[in-house]
Amino acid sequence: MTNQTDTAVRESRFSLEAASNYAVIVAFIAVVIFFTFAAPGFMSGENIFNLISNKVVLLAIVALGMTIVIGAGGIDLSVGVSIDLSSMIFIMMIAAGYMGAFAVMGGLGAAFCVGLLNAFLINKLKINPFLATLGVLFIGKSIQQLSTQGGVPIYLTRAEYAAPFDAIARTSLLGIPTPIIILVVCIIGVYLALHRSVFGRYVAALGAQADVARYSGIRVPFHMSIVFISCAVLSGITGILLSSTVRSYVPLAGDAFLLDAIGATFIGTAISAERRPSVLGTLIGVALLAVMRNGLLLIGWNFFWQQVGIGVLVFLVLGLSFGLRKRAE
Amino acid sequence: MTAAAIEMRSINKIFGPVKALDDADLVVEAGTIHGLVGQNGAGKSTIIKILAGIYRRTSGNVSVFGKPLDQITPASIEAEGVHFIHQDRLLVPTATVAEAIFLRNEPRVGPFINYREMNRRASELLKLYFELDLDPRTLISELSTAQQKIVQITRALAHDAKVMVLDEPTAALVSREVESLFSVLRRLKTDGLAIVFISHYMSEILEICDVVTVLRNGTDVGVVDPSEVGIQKIVEMMTNRDTSEMYPRREVEIGAPVMSVRNLTVDGAFEDVSFDIRSGEILGLTGLLGSGDKEVLNTLFGQIKPDAGEIILHDKQQKFGSPVDAVNAGVAKIPEDRRAHGVATGLSVGENMSLASLGQLSTRGFVDRKKEAEVVDGLIRDLGIKTPDRHTLVKNLSGGNQQKVVVGKWLGCNSEISLLDEPTVAVDVGAKVEIYNLMNRLASEGKGLVFVSSDLEEVTEMCDRVLVIYRGKIIGEYKRGEIDADRLLAAASGAVAETERKRA
Repeated sequence: MTNQTDTAVRESRFSLEAASNYAVIVAFIAVVIFFTFAAPGFMSGENIFNLISNKVVLLAIVALGMTIVIGAGGIDLSVGVSIDLSSMIFIMMIAAGYMGAFAVMGGLGAAFCVGLLNAFLINKLKINPFLATLGVLFIGKSIQQLSTQGGVPIYLTRAEYAAPFDAIARTSLLGIPTPIIILVVCIIGVYLALHRSVFGRYVAALGAQADVARYSGIRVPFHMSIVFISCAVLSGITGILLSSTVRSYVPLAGDAFLLDAIGATFIGTAISAERRPSVLGTLIGVALLAVMRNGLLLIGWNFFWQQVGIGVLVFLVLGLSFGLRKRAE
Repeated sequence: MTAAAIEMRSINKIFGPVKALDDADLVVEAGTIHGLVGQNGAGKSTIIKILAGIYRRTSGNVSVFGKPLDQITPASIEAEGVHFIHQDRLLVPTATVAEAIFLRNEPRVGPFINYREMNRRASELLKLYFELDLDPRTLISELSTAQQKIVQITRALAHDAKVMVLDEPTAALVSREVESLFSVLRRLKTDGLAIVFISHYMSEILEICDVVTVLRNGTDVGVVDPSEVGIQKIVEMMTNRDTSEMYPRREVEIGAPVMSVRNLTVDGAFEDVSFDIRSGEILGLTGLLGSGDKEVLNTLFGQIKPDAGEIILHDKQQKFGSPVDAVNAGVAKIPEDRRAHGVATGLSVGENMSLASLGQLSTRGFVDRKKEAEVVDGLIRDLGIKTPDRHTLVKNLSGGNQQKVVVGKWLGCNSEISLLDEPTVAVDVGAKVEIYNLMNRLASEGKGLVFVSSDLEEVTEMCDRVLVIYRGKIIGEYKRGEIDADRLLAAASGAVAETERKRA
């Protein structure tokens, strides 16, 4: 009798625990099914393709960077700056007639510098990541406004500039568009770094308890630098993809990615039993946000109501997941 | 007969597959100090958390002064006059003493807090119970641990506590403070309060408790009078084994010096400290609080930069800029504050144990997960770490097992020197023995160990040699055979130094 109760208790506990981990995935599938029926055209090949190559790719790469930073116990509010400065330098170099490859390197270099500055502020001046990257966010915004006469976009729509943009945004390999290939490479790279490498273990230790990492002989400042520079460079990649797609640089365009990247990362923590950021979780978070935006748009909700819908969904999913988790404990 | 202050009967608590409490009883009479002892994992904290309304019991009855309580919440139990002084300080660091004492019970004028009245009553209470002249406007963060304990107790008194539960109240106190705490507890007892006293220190249990409930494996195995049965018997009840094997012996050949410290000085902490650590040796380092013993250890681990002197390891003078350098040179440290510095409680057992030796468990930067699993599982088996598997989060382990994880982390990286800072603090008797065994094992592998502990008994029993530090200077060296606790204490408290000065 007692044994039976024990087993029952155990099973229900484990199924609750499992359910709490799968809540986000279930929600994602439910949302997809809902829009398949509610929004004509949602499941069309064209819509899915546009959704992935325009929305998912850009956000996912930034969110991967954010996953590394949040995994290490930090936060990077300056991803928008990395995106924008990368985009700005890239576009300015193309406009000045540099070769595409050099312009890409220039853009990524700018993002790298943002990461380096964050690392310097955090490691050397011991400013906490929130304030350090907030400061960089403010400075980055001003730099853009100062170098564009208060925020005038740079459009390079004339045909003479098209070649490098097309090479990035409109080519494909084995039928797969280049941006998607770039995303897949980033996913594999960040996955290996976070979940398979020594570096990833150090990141997890930093995130769990930085002092323990230090007492275990881990070079904390060095690894923190890698963390913030990786995030900045990944954001820089998004900046270049963004500019190549729209053939222009719009000042402060990167701001839009900040909260979505943080949101996707935290939504993603719901799939892991330890509530840690993970590559898979973040990708599901990104997909969930992108599908919601797109679906609500297709069924005719206006932009402002979309935000409400997404907010409610996030509450539902996380409330369900964490609530079940608590019950399980 | 009047009803007992606390009556918990046939309490069961099941956590998933684990039965944390199995028909446990705890009955505490008013006007007594009631000890609650047991090894980590025996169910002490579970039963207390059930009483505190933090956990819900699976079954069983709880009544307070004869009143059965069905659903307990932290607020409802406080309303019954039962107060808890938890081990971790739970005071708001930015509050003042008076604010902390009167939290949720503030004297008011209309909707506003009457600060003048609150401060006056706070200093009155502190003086009444503790003869303590403490400005009630002092911030909690400026208080010593002992003072914070006092504020917590005063808070309970200000709320008209009838029952007070103290969880390891003496853990961070020096002996004088323990004395004054005890005299307060005795006074409260005569005032008719029921006091539940949880401690790992058996001598304290003997000194202060009238009755002791012994828990083992979630069941109460006895309710005894400690002065009648004695410490030995209580420990045997806790562990269900004979205590004569408490300090396991080792036969180890002591070899050549592994590390030499020459004239090491950190201004304001210690000066001119020189000693050798030989292979196979356990070297004790002991002194009173603030004598500089910890600082010596921290300097050897690169946490403090020395102002003068040398550390020689592998025939080379070492300049440790940070713990990273020390670890790379083959120095390991078991830090005193396990939860802050020893283990990352949010990581798994395996992740913690491989953290310091990932270099050896990886190829080209990638973790060799098969090799890691082998090593970690081997260590878990070797050290007898009680965990379902290596994926379990460390926070779900008991204190003793967490400490074994810290030790295991360093075993994996094969360090020449191990620095142990209070490795057995807040660890139960059974786990203590296992940690002593591990120390012996390291010594027998030819490593050098430096052991800092304020428990003079274990220093006496475990060390081959003991250095006593008094006010930042080594004032005595005792070899095995001439070490005894009284002598160490006399030296550590300066008695020897004083005599010698007089002689000179």
